Amino acid sequence: MEYLGQDRREGLGRKSAPRFVLVLLILISVLLLLSSLYSAQASVFKKAREGVIDAAAPMLELVAGPVAYVNELFGYVGDYFRVLEQNEALREENAELRQWMQDALELRTIVASYEGLQTYQAPPEALPIDAFVIGEANDAFSRSMIVNAGRARNVETGQAVVDENGLIGRIVHTGANASRVLLLTDIQSRVPVYIEGADAEGILVGNTRKKPVIDIVAGADDVAPAPGQRVLTSGAGGALPRGLPVGVVDRVSGGDIVIGLYADYVRTRMVRIINYEFPDPDDAAALSSSDVMAQELVEAGVGAEGVGPAPVQASIPVQAPVSTSVSAPASAIAVALPTDG
Amino acid sequence: MGYRAENLMRLAKSMAPTFLGFLGVLLLAMPLRLFEGWVPTPIIPLVVIFFWSIYGPDLMPSVGVFFIGLLQDLLMGGPFGLWAVVYLAVQYIVLSQRSYFIGREQLVVLIGFALAAASASLMLWLVMSLMSGALLPVWPLIFQMAATVAIYPLFAAAFSELHRRVLVEA
Repeated sequence: MEYLGQDRREGLGRKSAPRFVLVLLILISVLLLLSSLYSAQASVFKKAREGVIDAAAPMLELVAGPVAYVNELFGYVGDYFRVLEQNEALREENAELRQWMQDALELRTIVASYEGLQTYQAPPEALPIDAFVIGEANDAFSRSMIVNAGRARNVETGQAVVDENGLIGRIVHTGANASRVLLLTDIQSRVPVYIEGADAEGILVGNTRKKPVIDIVAGADDVAPAPGQRVLTSGAGGALPRGLPVGVVDRVSGGDIVIGLYADYVRTRMVRIINYEFPDPDDAAALSSSDVMAQELVEAGVGAEGVGPAPVQASIPVQAPVSTSVSAPASAIAVALPTDG
Repeated sequence: MGYRAENLMRLAKSMAPTFLGFLGVLLLAMPLRLFEGWVPTPIIPLVVIFFWSIYGPDLMPSVGVFFIGLLQDLLMGGPFGLWAVVYLAVQYIVLSQRSYFIGREQLVVLIGFALAAASASLMLWLVMSLMSGALLPVWPLIFQMAATVAIYPLFAAAFSELHRRVLVEA
């Protein structure tokens, strides 16, 4: 067999377009690169990215199923050779989890009794949006995934994304029917976290390695983080809800706190996007003022017995500003009524 | 074939390599996770661009290369224009060395491809390290480029057949 290109029409005689087009395009790309460095959030780029995600989503979704199937068929070949070991490990874990279940059931009753208290106010509930991973950046330096839920299902930029293990990242681009999740390991990822037990807050910074580090730490100096301590989102800055599990402290080396993530990106198939809204500061203020009012009502009710209409009148202005929680005025009335009779 | 059908065929042929490049970009966006994620996805567009820049530069116009790069940047979520610069630079290097590679045996071309992949890696690593403000680990990139070089002979053989039997068929 002769080598390709020896024949004139197979390459030798073929001429390329004038070189200046190529040089011009290189210049344009360099300009684009520089401009994207300085205006990463420019709306033009954002629109283009969202458009491309939307355009590619149907194709990616089409092949995501077969890809996942083949992956499960051949991908985890190692599993077949480790069935016995894994069975053993699972049995042990199951026994441990049973104990945890008992603990959890006990705690549930305790928490329920606390929640029954009149002063308790439930935090705003998060609405989960379930989605499948249909795409992934198989790039040496970008760490992101594409999931098949978008604006049509109330996904918004900035929302947290978790899987069954813990936090995996947050939404950065939202198309109509697909969105991009920036993983915790990407160099652009910054997530405020705290270390349980160490009383330290910091920012988890991705560096393309499997284990990101906590960069800025603010906290009590005398308590040093130790390996094995849990790391959770702190909710600082109002970006993500507080208390999502992120990982454990892997090691502390030279000022860097290296975190082993709970998330296993190789096995992430289904994710849950958390549609969470922090309580509005104004609402929170209204809530606390209603607390004070409820307190006053109680005192008034206890202090002056038989004054029927007064507490009811007082409860009317309380109800108006509070939209998130009905419990405060209700409890106020509940307290006021028995003292009435 | 009629005149119009012939024109359509010619257009399809001249677009084929660019189209293959787009498919390669889509492949990069799929959650393949070969062997539990141990084998990185090869960068097929790099193979496509390298191959046709040598054997059929008229089939791989720079504008096509530019758009392949832009699509990859948009789909991967990296800095806009990075892959476009890398692919165009690879095409520039290849075009300048083209007369050397034409008609050579595949091993020589493979070494040329490895060198092209290495220079692309260097560019990628420099830009991304500059962007992140720290020297990034090079191993993921080296693994991915190694996977790309490893599959090059396979894809080059397939592309040769395509080029010889379909694209340059008069």
